[in-house]
Amino acid sequence: MDWTKQRYWEDVSEGEPLPTLRFPLSIYRLVMSAGATRDYNAIHHNSEFARRSGAPDMYANGLLLQGMWERSVREFIGLDGAIRALRGFRMKIFNTVGDTVVVQGRVKRKWREGKDALVELEMWSENAKGVSVGPGSMIATLPSRSA
Amino acid sequence: MGTGWERLEADNNVMENTVSDDWKKDWDRMKTAVGRDFSDGNPVWGADAVEPGGVRRYLEVLEFDCPLHFDRDAAQAHGYRDIIHLACGAGPMAIPPQWKPGLTIFNSDDAHAQPDHSPIRGIQSDLMPKTTGYFATEAEIDYFLPLYVGDRICLVGSVLLSCDPKETSVGRGAFCVFETELRNQRDELVAKRRAGMYYYNPKSKPVNATGNVDRKAN
Repeated sequence: MDWTKQRYWEDVSEGEPLPTLRFPLSIYRLVMSAGATRDYNAIHHNSEFARRSGAPDMYANGLLLQGMWERSVREFIGLDGAIRALRGFRMKIFNTVGDTVVVQGRVKRKWREGKDALVELEMWSENAKGVSVGPGSMIATLPSRSA
Repeated sequence: MGTGWERLEADNNVMENTVSDDWKKDWDRMKTAVGRDFSDGNPVWGADAVEPGGVRRYLEVLEFDCPLHFDRDAAQAHGYRDIIHLACGAGPMAIPPQWKPGLTIFNSDDAHAQPDHSPIRGIQSDLMPKTTGYFATEAEIDYFLPLYVGDRICLVGSVLLSCDPKETSVGRGAFCVFETELRNQRDELVAKRRAGMYYYNPKSKPVNATGNVDRKAN
C-alpha cells in the first residue's frame, strides 16, 4: 500500500468498487485476534467448545471482522480521510476457521455536509458459503480540492 | 447443522411453523424493558490506556500498515497530535479487566474450562432467562473523536433498544441491542455504539453457567 497517494472527494464516483481484500482464517490468526481484541470467548479459538455451543467450528469475532472493513476503508480514503460511522454491520453466518473472508465494497453515495465532503461506502464480507457480514456501510470524509 | 446462526426470516418461518413459541414468553420481561438503562449509572472503565503495543497487535492480525497507527510523525503530519488507535479499537479498549488482584478465575484444569469471570458477556439481568451461550451479532457506531495513545475509555449507560426472541440454527434465545456511549478520561464523547448480542441456550451439548462444557450432559 502506497500511503503517499491521497484520494480526493472529487476523484470518487458513485458505484466505484473498493479493492478486494482477502483474510484467510487460520487457528493462528484467530488466536492472535483474541489477544488483539481481548475477546477471549472460547467460541473464537477452541473448536470443541465452539461446536458444543452450536457453531460448526471456531469462528472470527466481530472486532476482527470490523477491523477488516476498517482496513479496506482506510486504504481507500487514505491518511487524510476520517472514518465517521459504521452502519449495518451484521454477522449473518459464521466465518469459521479454514475459510477465507473476502471483503468488498463500493461507493454508495457522495455528498457534502457543511465543510465536510462525505462518502458512504457499502461494505460486505463473503466466505465460501456466501455473504457473511453485511451488507452494511461505513461513512467517511475525504479531503476536497475545493475546500 | 446449518451454515451458521442465520437470522434469516425464511429460517425463522420454518422454525415458527414447527415449534411451539411458548419459550419466547421467558423473554417477555426483557421485552417490556426496552428503553431502560441497564447500567448502574457509573462509568465502566476499560482495563488499560491505549498504548502503541496494543494498537500494533490489532494491526498485526489485520496485516494493516497504516502509519497513523504506529508512526507519530506521520500522524502529526496529517493533523493528529499523536498515534491514533483504529476506530474499531475503541470497543476493545472499553473492556474491563479479565482479572483483578485477589480474584481467582481459573478453578479447573479441564482443557475447555472457562474462567469464572468474563468481562465480555454483555449485560446480565434478572429480567432475562438463564442462558449459557452468547455472541455479538451486529453493530452500528458513530465516531466523534480519535482515540489517542494515552487515552482511557469507559462505557457510559447501556440502554436496551430491542429484544427479539428467535430460534436459530444454534439454539433458542434473543437478539438484544444496547446503546452505549464510549467516553475518554476527559469525559469527551468518543463514540456512540449500538451493539447486538445473541443470548441463547445451545440446542445440544450445553455449557454450564460459567461457560464450562457440561460433560454430564454429553
